[in-house]
Order: sequence, then structure tokens, then C-alpha cells
Amino acid sequence: MRRLLAAIAVIVLFSSPAAAYLHFTSDSGGRSVALKWPRMPIRWFARDRGAAGVSASDFQAAMSRAFATWQAVPTAELSFQFGGFTGAEPFDDDGISVLGFQNEPGMDRVLGATGFLIDVVTGEIVESDIFFNSTFLWSTAPGGDPLRFDLESVAVHEIGHLLGLGHSALGETEVIPGGDRRVLSSGAVMFPISFGRGVTKDRELQPDDIAGVSDLYPAGDFRSETGILRGRVTRNGTGVPGAHVIAFNPATGQLVAGFTLTRDGEFEIAGLAPGPHVIRVEPLDDGDPESFLDARDPVDVGFRVTFHDRLAVAPRGGVGEQVVVRVQPKP
Amino acid sequence: MNLRLAVAGCIVLAAVAGPAGAQTAADRQSGRVEVDGGAGLLSGATLGDSDANLRANSQTGRTARLFATSSDLSRAPLWSARVSYSLTRRFVLEGALTKSSPDVRTAVTSDAEGAASVTIAERMDQFFLDGSLLVMLDEARIGTRLVPFVAVGGGYLRQLHEGQTFVEEGQVYSAGGGVKYWLMLRKAGTVRAAGLRGEARVYLLRGGFSFDDAARSRMAISGSVFVGF
Repeated sequence: MRRLLAAIAVIVLFSSPAAAYLHFTSDSGGRSVALKWPRMPIRWFARDRGAAGVSASDFQAAMSRAFATWQAVPTAELSFQFGGFTGAEPFDDDGISVLGFQNEPGMDRVLGATGFLIDVVTGEIVESDIFFNSTFLWSTAPGGDPLRFDLESVAVHEIGHLLGLGHSALGETEVIPGGDRRVLSSGAVMFPISFGRGVTKDRELQPDDIAGVSDLYPAGDFRSETGILRGRVTRNGTGVPGAHVIAFNPATGQLVAGFTLTRDGEFEIAGLAPGPHVIRVEPLDDGDPESFLDARDPVDVGFRVTFHDRLAVAPRGGVGEQVVVRVQPKP
Repeated sequence: MNLRLAVAGCIVLAAVAGPAGAQTAADRQSGRVEVDGGAGLLSGATLGDSDANLRANSQTGRTARLFATSSDLSRAPLWSARVSYSLTRRFVLEGALTKSSPDVRTAVTSDAEGAASVTIAERMDQFFLDGSLLVMLDEARIGTRLVPFVAVGGGYLRQLHEGQTFVEEGQVYSAGGGVKYWLMLRKAGTVRAAGLRGEARVYLLRGGFSFDDAARSRMAISGSVFVGF
């Protein structure tokens, strides 16, 4: 779900993060299964109504560009097919995936949202709909419009959800008067808070997005050509749940991140370029924790930003040595 | 420990060296095989600076730095083993295995959220497996036992990161020179020559662990003991 300013979780009813990259998962008999599409191409339909300043065909063209952005990821096996225009509403649970505008003035902080119909046993996605809130003004201008939100950027984010990706916490925010948050910087299209009006940067996927989707739909030799880092974050020997763990490869400049997703503080980051990584652990304090994790999951934010005291080497096609990052409590 | 062994080897070789009236370096023969073991020092190298950047919230392409890093390879001892074959008195072919274990060090600074600056590291095992052509410069011989040489070579670079779970490969090229000092040289017997060798080389590394595709140079100085058969 793409929020304008604050956190509202829309998919928590049936999702919790996997012990891996932040993918949506479903609990099936005590077993966690990742939500993903069972086969390609993913067929989608565009609603036959536009919004102020955006015709239905403009909308369809923007969605096509956003799908093409994901399809172009060379390390992921993805394809999409436009099924046509439809009068059906998003979230109708009608077996077809519909993307379209809806006027939701009551959701005054929500630019768009993604919903699913899934097989709760297998985790297979049956249908996924996306709505864009026409309460806001939208633009499909190539260079963006400073007074409107860029439809393609938000669509790229929501399609990430449609594919099964959760939110990334790779970004920095500041609290502004009124208690809302403003994005200072972001390292992933899947960061939950929009850059704001006129900014088109989220049309382009970042390494964190690419690692996430490639881990879910790996193409060719993705798994044999990338590495995994696993480890724990602890404080006084006890696991730290809900910590944000960032892996930075100085040789490539790429940032890929994950979370500690168990009470023992365990994490796993997959899809890393082989080589040494700087590991940085920070509290999940640049957004409401439920923007990222299940509201029922414990999240510990009472520690200082900490770097692991060794470079962590991600091997090609394997798992690196166990990383243990010991954090200190906040003063 | 290994250095002590090398020193001990030199003393033994000096003890078995023939009298001054024996053969000189100029009398050495072609078609001889020598083995050589030694130690030295490989210089460090800068790997480069790399910032962990996020995209800043602006229309422009500006970035926002999360933290900065600066990485290098530390200076490290090296250990070498060589086998050489003298094609002629002037030209010698040589194969060598050189091992060193530098640290990859990354200084992390300027964290956007005020985390303390740290320098973190990993140990890397680095191997050069290369061949060289030595040109013996008899015309520049010093005394009867000391002969300078120049060498050029090339071969295979193999780097194993800490934990030995990740290997990087590349090429290594070298050029340099040094001197060989014969403590003993004779026409008969199983051991026909023995001596000391010192050299300096510049290694050019391509591939392997680096931040870019450019070749990196490393300087090495080493000393060794050789025995000829």
C-alpha cells in the first residue's frame, strides 16, 4: 500500500513477513508460505474510467509502463499481459486483476492500495487489484507535474505489492508538524511513503527492489550468481526483533536490506552481489512499524545504529558465515 | 617462524659453500633446475571510496548519503616458492606460487544517524601463480658471485575471502629485478648450486576483488634461498 504521509496497513489480515526478504506470506498450518503468482503472464485489466486530468487510455499507458519496468528486470522471470478495459471495480474478488481509480476521500493519506485473493494453503495469488485514490490529483506527464502525484511512480510501487513484495525500510524520514512524516531520502521504490508531488524517481527500480523480486521469481542463474547473508541482531545476548538490517556492497555501491523477523533476532538477506558487505543495523523508526511488519510482531526500537565489526562476505550461490551484530541500548 | 627457517637455511648454505677458488657465477651451466623459497612484503593498495547513497527527495538527481566508506588492502607478508630452469646462461624460465594474506579494510564514516565511525575488515588469502622470464645480466656482475637480473611475467590471480566461501579470480603481471648471490656452484653432485636472491617487483593485478575494472599495482620485495640441481 502506498501511503501519502502516514502508515495504514491494508494487507495485514493475511500476511506476515517471511524469514527472508520482505515478501508477503500466508500462514498455512503453522507453515509460512510466500505469496506469489503461480504462472506467467499475469493478466491485468484497466478500469474504463479515468480521473481528473488522466483519461482511461492515459491510465492504461502509465500502468503498461510500470509493468514493463518490472518485466525488464533481467534476473526475474516476469511477464504481464493487458487483458483490456473493464467496468469492474478493484477489490471485487471476481477472479480478474483490475487496476483503476476509485474515489476514497476517507482515506486521505492513501494514494493507492493493493489487495489480493489468495489460496491460503499454497500461497498462490489468484487475483490482485490495485486502486489509485482519485481524491488526489494525478499526472502522467513524462517529466512529472509539481502539483500532482506521478501515477507511474505509484503504480511501480503498487505492482511491487501485486507481485508479493512488502515494504522496504530503506529510507529516511522526518516528522513534520501534525505528526506526519516527510521523506528525506529513499533507497527503494518499495519504501512505504511517497516522495511527494512532482517527483518521478520511483519510476526506476532500485537494487533492493530488484533483489526482492528476483528472489521471489528467480530467472536463470540468479540464485547461483548471488549470495545470502544470515545472522542475528542481539542486545545483551537477547534477540532484537524488528531491526532493520542493511547490507552495503562497497564494490557495487548497492544497498539491499531486510529485517530481523523472529524473537531471536534472526535475519536473512538474499540476492546480494557476491563479495564483502558492510552490515548496518538500525531501529525501525522511519515509519510506523506496522507499515513494514505485521502489527502483531514485536518491534524493538530501543537501540543505537550499529555497524557489524567485520565485513560480511556473501558467496556466489551460497550462504555466508553467520553474522552476529551486537547492538547497544539507546542512552 | 618461516623467516627463522630461511635464515637457518642461509647459514647452512654458507657453511657448505665451496672455497673461494671454486667455480664462480660466470661458470654456471644451462639446463639446470633450481628451487627457491622465500619471504617478503607486499605493499598495500587503495581500493577506493564508496558512499551508501539513497535518493534525495528532490526533482533533481541529487543523492543523500547514508554513510561513507573508504576501503583498502593492507600491506602483508608474502611467502613464495619457485622452480626455475635455465634455458641458457642468460635466460631463465621460472614458475612461482606466491601467497599473501592482506586485510580488506573499510573505514565507515559520516553516518546520517550519527553512528560511531568504525573500521571493519576481513582477511583475504591471495595467491599469484605465475611464470616469468629472467634475464641474467652477467655484464653487470659484481665480483664473482653476485649477478643482477631483470624479470617479466604473468599468470593467475586467486583471492579467497574470509571464510573461504567466495573466490575471485583474475590475472597478474609483473616486472622487476634483483640479484642472485651464489654461495656455492659446482659441476658435479646432486646439489650443484645454492645461494641467496633478493628482488623487487611491481605486480599489476587485473580482475579479482576491486571496485572497478582498472588494473591495480602492488609493490613486492622479497628475499629467498635457492638450491640448484
